[in-house]
Amino acid sequence: MSDVEDHGYDNYDQEGDERHEENEEDVENDDTNDEPPRRKLYEDDDDEDEEEEEEEQTGRKEKKRAKHRHKRDRAARFLDIEAEVSDEDEEEEDDEEYGVDGFIETGGAEDDDSSRRHHARLARRQMEEEEKSPEQIARDLNQRYGGRAAVRYTGDMNEIPQRLLMPSVHDASLWQVRVKPGREREIVFSLMRKSIDLEYTARPLQILSAFQRDSLPGMIYVEARSSQQVSQAVNGLVGVYPSRGIHLVPIEEMASLLQIKKQDTTVTPGTWVRIRRGQYAGDLAQVVDITENGEEVGLKFIPRIDLTPRDDGGDKKRKKTAGMRPPQRLFNFEEVVKVYGRNYVSKRGPAFVFQGDTFKDGFIEKDFKINALILEDVNPTLDEITQFSRRQDGLEENMVDLSIIAEASRKAAISVLQPGDHVEVFEGESAGVHGIVEEIAQDVVTISPVGVELEGQKVELPARSVRKRFKPGDHVKVMTGKNADETGLVVSVTDNVVTFLSDMSMQEVSVFSKDLREAAEVGSGTNVVGDYELHDLVQLDLQTVGVIFKTERDSFRVLDQNGQVRMVQPHQISMRRDSNRAIATDSEGHELRVNDNMKEVDGEGRKGRVLHIHQSFHAFLHNRDITENGGVFVTRARSLVSLAPKGNPLKLAPGADLSKMNPAIQPQGGMVGSGMGRGPRDRHIGASVLVIKGPHKGYQGTIKDTNGQVARVELNTGNKLISIDKSKLYRKLANGKTEPLDAPSFNRGPRNGNMDPPLSLPNGNRNSNPYAAAGGRTPGWGGGRTPNPHANSSATPAWNSSSRTPNPYAGSATPAWNASSRTPNPYAGGQTPAWSASSRTPNPYASGGATPGRNHSASSGGWGGATPGRNTSWGGDGWKSPERSGWGSDVWNAPTPAASAATPAASAPTPAAFAPTPGAYAYSSSMSAPTPGVVPNTPGVMDYEDSAREPYSPPDDWLLDDRIAPHQTKLRVFIQGSVMPPYLDGAYEDRTAVVVGTTRVRENFEQTAFLRFDDDGEERSILSRYIKPVLPKSQDEAALVICGRRKGEMVRIRQKPDSQETIEMVVVESIGSAGAAYWECQKDHMCAVVG
Amino acid sequence: MTAVIPPSKSRQLRACLLCGLIQSSNDFRFNGCPNCEDILQLKDSADRVMTCTSTYFEGMIAGIDPENSWVLRWQRTSKYVRGMYAVRVRGRVPEDVEAELESRGIKYRPRDLSLDQD
Repeated sequence: MSDVEDHGYDNYDQEGDERHEENEEDVENDDTNDEPPRRKLYEDDDDEDEEEEEEEQTGRKEKKRAKHRHKRDRAARFLDIEAEVSDEDEEEEDDEEYGVDGFIETGGAEDDDSSRRHHARLARRQMEEEEKSPEQIARDLNQRYGGRAAVRYTGDMNEIPQRLLMPSVHDASLWQVRVKPGREREIVFSLMRKSIDLEYTARPLQILSAFQRDSLPGMIYVEARSSQQVSQAVNGLVGVYPSRGIHLVPIEEMASLLQIKKQDTTVTPGTWVRIRRGQYAGDLAQVVDITENGEEVGLKFIPRIDLTPRDDGGDKKRKKTAGMRPPQRLFNFEEVVKVYGRNYVSKRGPAFVFQGDTFKDGFIEKDFKINALILEDVNPTLDEITQFSRRQDGLEENMVDLSIIAEASRKAAISVLQPGDHVEVFEGESAGVHGIVEEIAQDVVTISPVGVELEGQKVELPARSVRKRFKPGDHVKVMTGKNADETGLVVSVTDNVVTFLSDMSMQEVSVFSKDLREAAEVGSGTNVVGDYELHDLVQLDLQTVGVIFKTERDSFRVLDQNGQVRMVQPHQISMRRDSNRAIATDSEGHELRVNDNMKEVDGEGRKGRVLHIHQSFHAFLHNRDITENGGVFVTRARSLVSLAPKGNPLKLAPGADLSKMNPAIQPQGGMVGSGMGRGPRDRHIGASVLVIKGPHKGYQGTIKDTNGQVARVELNTGNKLISIDKSKLYRKLANGKTEPLDAPSFNRGPRNGNMDPPLSLPNGNRNSNPYAAAGGRTPGWGGGRTPNPHANSSATPAWNSSSRTPNPYAGSATPAWNASSRTPNPYAGGQTPAWSASSRTPNPYASGGATPGRNHSASSGGWGGATPGRNTSWGGDGWKSPERSGWGSDVWNAPTPAASAATPAASAPTPAAFAPTPGAYAYSSSMSAPTPGVVPNTPGVMDYEDSAREPYSPPDDWLLDDRIAPHQTKLRVFIQGSVMPPYLDGAYEDRTAVVVGTTRVRENFEQTAFLRFDDDGEERSILSRYIKPVLPKSQDEAALVICGRRKGEMVRIRQKPDSQETIEMVVVESIGSAGAAYWECQKDHMCAVVG
Repeated sequence: MTAVIPPSKSRQLRACLLCGLIQSSNDFRFNGCPNCEDILQLKDSADRVMTCTSTYFEGMIAGIDPENSWVLRWQRTSKYVRGMYAVRVRGRVPEDVEAELESRGIKYRPRDLSLDQD
């Protein structure tokens, strides 16, 4: 080491060395302090040599001080007067005052008092060195002191290539330690301080270093020889998780831990950044200049000056906190002066100073710390950039500043380039060349140019100077930004702004070329628009639901339950429906749920996965292989069959009591999948119980809820709810006796009596599949002797109420149904053969469903009294009559008497008497809701609710009614009322005709229709108000319903009208789309049609 | 010798652009950089401290035993005082310092890991 280098830095040398040596000594010999005198002996020799050399070499003023010290030391050699502490002081003095030392050897290790302590060791070393060769000694010396000069910046290590510093097996290992995220720095600091604190103790830390990287949160790395040293070091530190393992870092990964570097976010003038905090948070700014150390940057951005400052002047703080921040607005001298006064704004050259900020060209220029800025993902929008460029200065008003935009898109451009992209070079010496990207290596792209001169060569270019090239006519897709996924046809290209015509919105969209990609596909990749998603079941209007099978930019295509495709916008959807729990019945009577794989039994035999079920009737399925409607199709649940064999019917419902699942009493034969998603209600709920054990022993109460073996019991006394084990409860019977809760008994209570055999019933009873139950195929039903209606009525309130009633019927052989129905007569026949017969009929609903309904109305009291005729016929021998038994097979033979029975009722003077009738039908409709074919007839009947048999006269424009108009050319009409006052001389009065056509005329004109008269074939237009429908007269005649809910439906008369009364009810059969359904219709609600 | 270990929560932490030592700005001003003082001459010069040290650093190393530590050797700080070092410091020393280094025949190695490729 040269003199020059050493000059003046020895104070550091010394100290570093001393400290180092001290350390060693400490480690080697903990009881150093015991032997200071011996040390001094050695020390003195050294000191003397040293002293002389020093004097010779330096001759500076330090000499004096050194001498002084020397003297003191001489005395001290005999007196161990110096306390250990004083070393520190001395050292510090040395640090400050000892500036120069000529020789390496004298450099400081031998400095008098401070080095005393390692003389013992030096002596040892001397002994050793005497045995060494001179070369060895020289090398050792070099090794030992060569580095000493480094405790000042020598940079001697700077010359060593980094690769030579790679760790070797001789180096200590790195250990990864898990720590609490966010506390990494603190922990590294703690380790540092801990090691200093424990340095001179008996157990110093043995780790060599520890470090943390911001990019590796939740871990620190400790350099040590063994993991034990690491755990010893971190022991006791808060936030360190040594229990999560101290992992050895493989030697080859050590260097990379220190090499990690965040993607360089170099800031150069012109770079776009965003401001992180404060009033301008989120605002885009452009870098104007950067301080030398790169810590602060000068930014230019659009100021937000409050031009409407509040007047409450002094209260600055409140002003700052309250209110919104002012809008972005360029600085305008006049404006600001007007608001704040001339004194507040000063002009300095081209710039203005206002409130301590400098404004130039309308922009504010301000210095920011770099960590107050967002440098990554700035993504300036075109709008923001044009705001800058437009206002740059007056001259370039319309020019979009190329460099600005280029800069903005540059960085991103590098990452979005792909091999095969067509690019052009827009800067540098090859500017203008375009070609195809061959390969990309970091920032360098290789392109094979398409052009005259360079054809065939490959050119390497910085990625930042190429941009994607599009030409008008290209079909492109937007990859990022707010227009993402938009596709379209390029119409123009201006530099790197591409304008294209969107495929979806048919509007022009301008985007940066970097965000574009050539793409063949059309349409949007998104499946979500608004709150709705692909394959959602949505309610379109009251009657219509549909499944979204395609989403577009802001609309959907929906397949409704009628199989029609509609284009819908999100606001037209009233709600999304959830059919996750919906269940339907497939063609085999099995349960059908969402996500089942099903197949059509008829029609096209399409397969698919059930997406949704609507009202247990329609099923929406999806199959990728079907191209039509995005693979979604709708079909009737009844025409589906499962692709997979149905699983175990014993599927355990959550919370189900195993004891209820006794296979012996399970339904057999086709009751598949009757296990419901919802667990059956515990049959103990509501039971009156007596506590027989525990602190509440003797209390009575009611079970409110159960959870497994624990019941929640509401005590009759104290209004208290307790949780108690079921085994501690006894059921309290009505007769005052008690019995175990689970004791099998037929006499237990209303419910159990009813549900006999009780244990199977929770299943059958709650089956969502009424068919299975109604079909009476369950052995439970057979044994139960209970007629069909029970299954259905289980859902009615009547059932519940009856089940909760105290048990007056216990022990009764008659099912509780009788009791609850409260009608003594007709249903006493519950056990009559007639009933079982009807329950076995193929269409049990027609009877079974309707019966409770009537029953219901009967209980309301209206029925029996009001229609005596009917009452007798039903209540008397009606049930046993052959007609009745024929109901199921030939439904409409049976109603005939009923209908005719209605006739006298209609003439009954009390219209109120009639009210219950529709009620009865209504009830039956709700009961049989899932049965197609029966459903439609009921609402029709309900139509008469209000119109109760009043002659109907159609409005003047009835022909134009939306639902009639499609059939209008078939309608048979006649002319009425043209005599008085005369219309066309009354020549057409009473003549029948067929409508040829009519269209709505404008207001203020009388509506006409074009008719062809039957008798002479004359065709002419007639004022609509004279046109009246021809009523159907004969059986099997076709007619159109022109009034009521079923308006527009084609029917066929199935019952010969036997009177001239226009309000006569006739039985009709729906034909066409609604399927065959029989119902009654008032005659003048129909219009006869041709054919 | 050990550098002053600043409190870890201090907001004023700065790292020396030359050696990466982390200290509070006050410590730099009062004591200078224990490693580089002769070149940087930070002592008593707030300006100098501002230009020759940086708050923009990342990764903290507790240099407990620099001489024997591979980590600090890798960081080329094994000959320096014990203390907290930054793995990476952003920025370059002022030009006069670079000139000074050059005149002393020292290769300047910025601490922003930009020269790690070799």
